[in-house]
Amino acid sequence: MSTTKAPEAAPPETPPETPARKKNHQPHLRRNLPGYLMLLPFLALFAAFLVWPLLNSLYLAFTDFNGIKPPGFVGFDNFERLWTDDARFRKALGNTVMYVIASVTLTTLLALALALAFRTTSLRDKTMRTIFFLPSVTSSMALFLIWGWIFDVEDFGLANTVLGWFGGDSVAWLSTPELAVPILVFISVWGGAGYGMIIFVAGLNAIPEELYEQAEIDGASTFRQFWHITLPLLRPVTTYVLVTSLIGAFQVFEAVYIVFRTTASNVGGILDSALMIVPYLYDMGFGKFELGFASAVAWTLFIIIFIVSTVQLRLTRTLKDL
Amino acid sequence: MNPARKALRTLLAAALAAAVLAASACTTSTPQTETADSSEPAHLVFWNTGGDEEVAVLRAVADLYIAAHPGTTIDIQAVAWADSHAKILSAATAQQGPDVISGGLSWGNEFGQLGGMLDLREFGIVDEVKPLVAPGSWKSVESTDGAVYGVPMDMTLYLFYYRSDLLAAEGIAPPATWADLTAATEHFKGKGVDNPFVMTWSTLSWLQYTNFLKQAGGDWYTDDCSAVTVNTPEGVSALNYWADLHRKHGAPNEEPDLASGLESGDIVMANGGNWNLSGLDVSHPDLVGKWDVSVLPEGPAGAGSFIGGRVLGAMSYTKFPAQAADFIKFFYSDEAVAALQQAAKANGFLWISPRAELVDKLDTTDTAKTALKTTLQTAEGPPNCNGWDKSSPDIDKLLQEVVLNDADPAEKLGEIAALLTENLTG
Repeated sequence: MSTTKAPEAAPPETPPETPARKKNHQPHLRRNLPGYLMLLPFLALFAAFLVWPLLNSLYLAFTDFNGIKPPGFVGFDNFERLWTDDARFRKALGNTVMYVIASVTLTTLLALALALAFRTTSLRDKTMRTIFFLPSVTSSMALFLIWGWIFDVEDFGLANTVLGWFGGDSVAWLSTPELAVPILVFISVWGGAGYGMIIFVAGLNAIPEELYEQAEIDGASTFRQFWHITLPLLRPVTTYVLVTSLIGAFQVFEAVYIVFRTTASNVGGILDSALMIVPYLYDMGFGKFELGFASAVAWTLFIIIFIVSTVQLRLTRTLKDL
Repeated sequence: MNPARKALRTLLAAALAAAVLAASACTTSTPQTETADSSEPAHLVFWNTGGDEEVAVLRAVADLYIAAHPGTTIDIQAVAWADSHAKILSAATAQQGPDVISGGLSWGNEFGQLGGMLDLREFGIVDEVKPLVAPGSWKSVESTDGAVYGVPMDMTLYLFYYRSDLLAAEGIAPPATWADLTAATEHFKGKGVDNPFVMTWSTLSWLQYTNFLKQAGGDWYTDDCSAVTVNTPEGVSALNYWADLHRKHGAPNEEPDLASGLESGDIVMANGGNWNLSGLDVSHPDLVGKWDVSVLPEGPAGAGSFIGGRVLGAMSYTKFPAQAADFIKFFYSDEAVAALQQAAKANGFLWISPRAELVDKLDTTDTAKTALKTTLQTAEGPPNCNGWDKSSPDIDKLLQEVVLNDADPAEKLGEIAALLTENLTG
C-alpha cells in the first residue's frame, strides 16, 4: 500500500445542470418508483391521521373553538391564560413533574437492577424476565381497573385486606390526596420496569466479556467493573430508556382516568390530587368543550417534552465527552 | 445536500404546512336539516346514556311509536355514562350521529347553548309537556332565555336508606332531622360501628352538598339566575354540617358498596339514589325485610334535595327534526310511561317518569312510594344558570378543601360565589 499522499485536488466547482444530468433523474425515479408506491399507503394514513390533526390542533390553539360553533381567532390568549391565570394547569404541571421525576428515576433504576439480576439465558432468568415483562404485554385498561380494585376502600380491596392481616386500619387510598401521586408512580414503576429490563438486558449482553475478564485480571472489584465498564457502555441504552420513559410519563392518562375518575366531570381525583397534564387537556377539551384551549395545552406539553428531551440528550452527550 | 436544494425543501415544507393550516381554518360547517312533517317516515338513531339493560326498556316505547308511525325505524344504542358526554360533543362537532340523545339533566342547556341541540319550543311540544313534569325537574331544563333544548326523560332522587331492624333494636326512630341523624350516628359509633352513616351517589361532590344546602334554606343562585346566593349563612351552615358528617361523624370520603355494607351491618344509614329500591333485595336476599327507606332528614329550613335524571333532546343537525321532537313528546303519553314501567320491572329496576303523578303505579313498597312522592315535592335539579356546568367540577374541589383540609367554609363559599359569578356573566 502506498503511503505517499497524493496532492489534494482543488475542489471542483458545482457542475452546471446539464441535460445529461437531468436525464439521470429518470432512471432514479423509475428505479425507486415501486418503493415510493409501497410507501404511499402509509404516507397517506400518516398525513391523514397524524400530520393533518397535528396542524389542525396548532391552528385551533389560537382560537376559541368550542367543538360546535366556528372557531374565532384569539391570538395568544389561550397560552397567556394557561401560564398566568390557570391554577388547575399549575397543579397538573406540578403533579406531572413530580410524577415524571419519581417514575422515570425509579423505573430506570429498577429496570437496570432487574436486568443485572436476570441477564443470563438460564431457565430461571428467562422465567423471571417473562414474569416481569408480563405487564407490558397485558391490556393497560384491564391492569388499571385491577389497580382500582386493589386500592378500593372496601373489604375486597386487596391493599386494605393485606393491611388488615397485619392489624392495620383500612386506608382510603384513592381519596387521600397525599397518596395520589405515589400510587400512580407505584403503578407506573410496576408496569414499566419489565420493558426497561428487556432493553437493558440487550444492552448488557452486547458488552464484550473480554472487558470484564481484563478488569478482573487487573483486580477490579465488581462495583468498579459495573461503574467503569457496564454503566459507560450502557449509556446509549440508558439514554433510550430514559427518553422513552420520560415521554411516556409526561403523557400519562389512562391510569389517572381509570383509577381516579370519580365523577363524569372530574378526572383528577379528590382535590385534583392526581391531575396530570394530559387528563387536564382531556377535561378541558371533552369535559368543558374548550377545544381551542385544550389544543394550547397540548402544544405546551409538546414544547415541554421537546425541551426536556433535548436537554437530556445534550446532557448525555456532554457526559460522554467528559 | 446542496444548500439551495435544502432551502427549497424547507420552503416547500413551510408552504405546505401553511396551506394545511389555512385549510384547517376553513373547515367549518353548518347544520344541514330538512324540515319534514312529523307523520312522515324517518330513521331515527337514539343514543341512550346508560347501560345495555335499558335498551330493552326503551325498545318498548320505540316499538309502540313505530306501530303508530308505519315506515319509521328507531335504532337505540347504549352509550356508557363515562363516555357519553364526549361522544355527544363529537357527534355535534362532526354534525352526524344520533338524532335523539339522552344524557345528564343539565346537558340539554349545555349542548344547546353551544348550538348542538334543537330548541324544542319550535316544535310545539313544550306547552304540552311542561304541565306534566315535576316543577323541580323542569326548572333544570328550561334555559334562562326560555329555550328548552331537552325535556326530562326520567328522574333520579335521593332517598334515605336504613337498617330498620338495627334501629328498632336500639329503640331509635328513623332520623327525621339533622339532629336525629347525628344522634343516631353517634349512638352506633359508640356501639363500635365505624361508619354508621354513609353518603352514596357522588360522595364529596356538589350533588351531596346541594341536599344540605336546600335543607338549610339556601340555594346556588336566585330563581331568575341574576345573582349567586350560595355564600350566605344558610350555605355556611349546610357546609359545616355536611363537612362534619365526614370529619367528625365517620362518613367515608369514598363511595362504599351500599348493599354489602347494609347487609353486614357496617352501614346502618345512608343516603343514595332511588335505583337501590329495586337493587338491594335482588343483589342481597339476606337483606329482605331488614331495611326501609324514607325522605332525607330535614334541616333547619325543612326538606330539600337534589333531583337528577336524564334529559331527552334532538340534535341540531338531525335530518328528521319534526319526527325526533314527536318521538320525544311520545315519551310522556300514558301508554309510553306504562310500557316503560312494565319493561323496567321485567328487567329488575324502576322507571321513574317525570310525570310525578304516576309514581303510584310503580312496583315498589308503599313506604318507598311515599318517600318518592314526598321527595318530589321539594327536590330540585341542577341550576339552569349560565356557566353552571363549567363551574361545577371546580366547585367540587373547593368543597373538598373544607372536608379534607379543614378550610374555612365561609371563605370557600366566597370563592365558589366568585367563580359562579364570573362564569354567570362571562
